Amino acid sequence: MKKYVTKRVLMGVLTIFVVFTINFLIIRLAPGSPISTIMGKDNDDPLLRAALEAKYGFDQPLILQYFIYLKNAFSGDLGLSIIYNKEVLSIISERLLPTLLLVLTAALLAVVIGTFMGMYAAKHEGSRVDVFFSGISYMFNSMPAFWLGLILIIIFSSVLGLLPSYGMINSRTSLTGVDYYLDVIRHMILPVSTLVLVEIPIYFRIAKSSIVQTLNEDFIVTLKATGMSERKIFNKYVLRNAILPTITIFGISMGYLITGVALIEIVFAWPGTGDLMLTAINQRDYPTLMGIYLIMSVSVALVMVVVDIIYATLDPRIRF
Amino acid sequence: MDKVLELKDFNVTYKNKSKKVYAVKDINLVINKGDSLGIVGESGSGKSTLAMALLRLLPEKNTDINGSSNFANMDLVQASEKELKEIRWKELSVVFQKSMNALSPVHRIGEQIEDIYRVHKPNARKDEILDRIKALLKLVNLSDRVIKMYPHELSGGMLQRVAIAISLIHDPKLLIMDEATTALDVVTQGQILAEIVKMEQTLDVTRIMITHDISVVATTCNKIAVLYAGELMEVGYVKDILKDPKHPYTKGLLASIPSLSGEKETLTGIPGHLPDLSQKYEGCIFAPRCKFAMEQCEKSKPSEVQLSAENRVWCHLYSHLDRDEQLESREDLVEVNR
Repeated sequence: MKKYVTKRVLMGVLTIFVVFTINFLIIRLAPGSPISTIMGKDNDDPLLRAALEAKYGFDQPLILQYFIYLKNAFSGDLGLSIIYNKEVLSIISERLLPTLLLVLTAALLAVVIGTFMGMYAAKHEGSRVDVFFSGISYMFNSMPAFWLGLILIIIFSSVLGLLPSYGMINSRTSLTGVDYYLDVIRHMILPVSTLVLVEIPIYFRIAKSSIVQTLNEDFIVTLKATGMSERKIFNKYVLRNAILPTITIFGISMGYLITGVALIEIVFAWPGTGDLMLTAINQRDYPTLMGIYLIMSVSVALVMVVVDIIYATLDPRIRF
Repeated sequence: MDKVLELKDFNVTYKNKSKKVYAVKDINLVINKGDSLGIVGESGSGKSTLAMALLRLLPEKNTDINGSSNFANMDLVQASEKELKEIRWKELSVVFQKSMNALSPVHRIGEQIEDIYRVHKPNARKDEILDRIKALLKLVNLSDRVIKMYPHELSGGMLQRVAIAISLIHDPKLLIMDEATTALDVVTQGQILAEIVKMEQTLDVTRIMITHDISVVATTCNKIAVLYAGELMEVGYVKDILKDPKHPYTKGLLASIPSLSGEKETLTGIPGHLPDLSQKYEGCIFAPRCKFAMEQCEKSKPSEVQLSAENRVWCHLYSHLDRDEQLESREDLVEVNR
């Protein structure tokens, strides 16, 4: 087990490294540069350009820039944002918490609700509830998340006026204590619902098909023949076997959520990393962008390692 | 002799919206205490359906079971789920065809056996269970190590032995082995069959062996029932039927097995295929494939012909036997049973 964990962690580090390198190259291959952004559209003074390039190290060969960045990143220094002129690390850490709050809440709610719906539908396969669940799961699965977000805003904010449509806190009031958290929760309802609604179908379908499949396994027939109660068979033997695909999907889906939440953050003006990333891309703010990419790949790699370890503890066939 | 299981007009029909499949038809069969009955037939003859129906493990939504099967003072066909739970495994246990998948792959073998033990003895002490498991594993020639292992760490033969051990955990009256050794190589199969025969000298168990392999029946059973398309063709002692098969189908089955000793013979199979079981047939179900088929065979179903106390055949070739003679032999039977 120890060997397996070490192996997974090393694989994770390697993945981060590769992703980091690819990102470094791609963003620099794209036309445009942060210097043009700083200098403005109409300014084309070669002296100023050279001075700025020297300041940010863009006069060095690409390969050298890469190693300098790598060295600094290892010592925890992600550099200065070219646009904001602030420590990248502090910009990102400000924005990371709201994103994690959104992503983790949505992922956990989706996996729990989706899996329970799947369990119910599998137990009552062919029933009206099953048909209804399957139907709406297809519907939400085929909906673009940002569009669903907009529709929810129209219904619950514009028409019904029940919920705030943007932001994480109401900036017109200065709430403290419990009221502050309640306000954050109120602001979270719509973006989290959007993510959850889009994610539920994935967990619903995987849980349902996996349970139906497990129920038809030979060992279930054997256990029934022993006179064991249906409840015990389901809770102990079916679930443990059927939950494995859900864990795999959870890992994959978390990776998608961490990176893909950007669009939802923009729709709801959520002060997370997604919004920061888009601005950074548009302004070619290399240090900020690289910082975000790094944090994201570290989070995804971390989630994958954790998921792999959970999987290995649940499925004895995985241990090497 | 004590009857352990008695099937009367036992029928199993699979159904869906558009059609019905008559998988098992009008089975009348008695199994006495200490018997070992081999049920043979080709694939699709209804052997496993019969076993699953006996165990009431077929999905109730799309199966109809008619007739009666008396076991342990109750009719298994009518028994409620609660009554069934009482006798399952305690009185009636089973070893399935695919023992490789007979255990959950993500739980330790010992834990699974413990759970099965606790179904009928929920308050058993841990060491009591462990002793029982060890004794059973010894019976099937497995080491105690197996308790701590997962199914994927065992070979097919070992898993089969585990499945047999589990089936004996509560000393059942009746043990059904549904193609229990089919998936194994001949050497392992031979070993396990020999173990089963040896085991039974110390156990008080009656066994039904479902197989398509007559050699399995020859080595491990004292009685045989030949099933074709869900109907009984011939029933009797293995020693009589293997030596002198009466029914043309049994003859065909035996002629399709090569013998190691004796003259070289050409192996003859049985031409034709199983009939479509979604239809009902007026005549003998085997008639279309039977080389002795007569006009009568197409028109009416052969009724049971009692050849001796335990040997019966369903074939028009033998219905010329004097009716009185049949009745007499039946009276003999009645006396024997008394």
